[in-house]
Amino acid sequence: MNRLLVVLASAGTVLCAGCGGGGSNVQPPPPTGKYSLASLNGQYSFVTSGEVFASGSNVPTPLARTGVFIADGKGGIMGGIEDVNSAGQVSPAVQISGGSYTVNADGRGTLTLNVSASPISFGIVLTSTSDGLLIDETSNGNQLSTGSGNFILQQSTPFALSEIAGTYVFDFPGMDVNNNPESFLGEFVVDGATGAIPSGFFDDNDFGTLISGAMIPGAVSQDPSTFSAFGRGVATIDGQNFVFYIVNSNQVRFQSTNNGMLSGDAIAQTSNVPTSTGGFNGNFAFVLSGSSNNGGLTRVGRLTANGATVSNVLADTDDAGSQHPSNILSNGTITFDAANPGRGHITFQDPNFPFTFVFYLSSLNSGVIQDVTETTPGSGAGIVIADGSLLLQSAGPLTPIGPTQPYAMNWSGIVTTGGNFPIQDEEDLLAQVTAASPNQTLSGTADLFQFTTGTLLTGLGVGGSITINGDGTGGDGKRSGLTVDLTGANPITFVIYFVSPQTAFFAIHSGNTHLDAGVLKLQL
Amino acid sequence: MNPTIRLVVPSFILAGALSFCFSAGAQQSTQLDLRRLQSYELSRELSVVGTVIKYEPASSVAPMGVHLLLQTASGPLDVHLGNAKLLQASHLDLNPGDNVRVVGESLALGGGTYFAARIVQKGTQAVAVRNAKGFPFHSASALTPAQKESLRGVR
Repeated sequence: MNRLLVVLASAGTVLCAGCGGGGSNVQPPPPTGKYSLASLNGQYSFVTSGEVFASGSNVPTPLARTGVFIADGKGGIMGGIEDVNSAGQVSPAVQISGGSYTVNADGRGTLTLNVSASPISFGIVLTSTSDGLLIDETSNGNQLSTGSGNFILQQSTPFALSEIAGTYVFDFPGMDVNNNPESFLGEFVVDGATGAIPSGFFDDNDFGTLISGAMIPGAVSQDPSTFSAFGRGVATIDGQNFVFYIVNSNQVRFQSTNNGMLSGDAIAQTSNVPTSTGGFNGNFAFVLSGSSNNGGLTRVGRLTANGATVSNVLADTDDAGSQHPSNILSNGTITFDAANPGRGHITFQDPNFPFTFVFYLSSLNSGVIQDVTETTPGSGAGIVIADGSLLLQSAGPLTPIGPTQPYAMNWSGIVTTGGNFPIQDEEDLLAQVTAASPNQTLSGTADLFQFTTGTLLTGLGVGGSITINGDGTGGDGKRSGLTVDLTGANPITFVIYFVSPQTAFFAIHSGNTHLDAGVLKLQL
Repeated sequence: MNPTIRLVVPSFILAGALSFCFSAGAQQSTQLDLRRLQSYELSRELSVVGTVIKYEPASSVAPMGVHLLLQTASGPLDVHLGNAKLLQASHLDLNPGDNVRVVGESLALGGGTYFAARIVQKGTQAVAVRNAKGFPFHSASALTPAQKESLRGVR
């Protein structure tokens, strides 16, 4: 039987991984805050990455969306465009003819975009009037899709191709031409006068095969029919074709249009980016996700960089439902690649496991990172396929500021559930929560889309708390925790690393029915 | 790549592997053995034949994914088949009583070991569930590109 039809037919059934008899009865609070329809006003670039059941299919396939919508500040969508890549099948320049949205006082809301035969739907949480987080909540007779993403206010039109100029650091994770995991990151130089990409350097992990080297020259160019209105163009990066959307001169969003499904942002590299170990100092938090021999994988942690040495490392790996905290780490080193500004390697080791990462810094405080640990040194075989972010931590203590702080929360990953289709599949959660002192007690409302059931759950109550140990940086060897209660579910426990009082990321800390990583962002 | 591969299991995979005993050997692994078993090596592969005792598409035991409890000549064997979506897409139904052959090897996870299958074969249908480096096909990433971007603090 068509799985799409089955899951739609069962949409009234509430099934939640981790639920047992007597799950939480936490209720959502009344929405309070400063947001309104007027808070979403302008032209926003959005991205999501997740899965889709197309009509007639009984197996979900990976899905990436990158596009633009225009909000009128009154609840209407005036138009837009999106590019879709579903496991390598590309739908370019899909017109968004209209739509609607809602925004509650707490910044939560809905977004409906009218495309072709049927609308696509999203849950949104504003993190400011300039940006927010969203999850794909499309569930209709033609399509069932999920995924997590964000939206960012674009610069004022008209766009100019010359705005893309200088060196950009990128991280394009996704799927290769055979729909298997790939991590492609690096840096490239754009000649603002011509759009040429004369040079660049990359690190690629294609389903376990590590390759690194100079890029094949490429180019960026505008799409004649969509560039002026939406900042949309096409690019060739190291021989692979992409579509892109300009957010502003510092940020460009890319999505591949051949040889698989890669997507991500390229960030302009600042002129003061460290080029040697002498300029690389401070506390850094990192988060990576991807795949291992065992299944899905997350790595979160923090380290102190002091020139060429690494110290005070704390790391947590969740390998397909088996958690491995690393407390005793040694032999930490940092090296920089003199030929490629901002590129370097970090190594350290716990008693059971070596870690090696390559990183590309886009600024003093931010970069992308890829796990390049080899099965045996020199083999070129990666022990995992994983990448993510490296961010400078604020000075401790790191705790939510003020007595009650509003945050947008998003996680995505894999869940194992029973129900009609007892398999593992994607889950995405989007919530707005407040953290209240003194115990950082959480209260809020969430939408949860677990593809194992095909059942979208909206308006779930969120409870729980953040337990901050030590100064919150982890540099003192003390982990901080996050416990989330959802209506009808048993508590879900995470390890959480604060980057600053405004931003934190987290990953599952115990249990093997979820493999999730997520972000907590202060609402401004 | 077509996820469904019909093949004859290479002859170099020795039938002598039937004597492979997963549980006893694995539990006696030294720390060094566990380190060695953190990566998949084709040279260690074994071919095991058995009868399905239990098929769990969503096991509560790590690693996440499909687990097959197989009755072999040497006793029960817990086999990890990766992502159920791949078996579903390949129309490979596994049920108690089915006779199957699995090609794979023991891998370390969480201080223990399990048998990671690269190929599962029932009758004439064989499905590759891992690549030659041991990575499950179609495994999902836990963090989306957009989340990675939002964590980067670039706005």
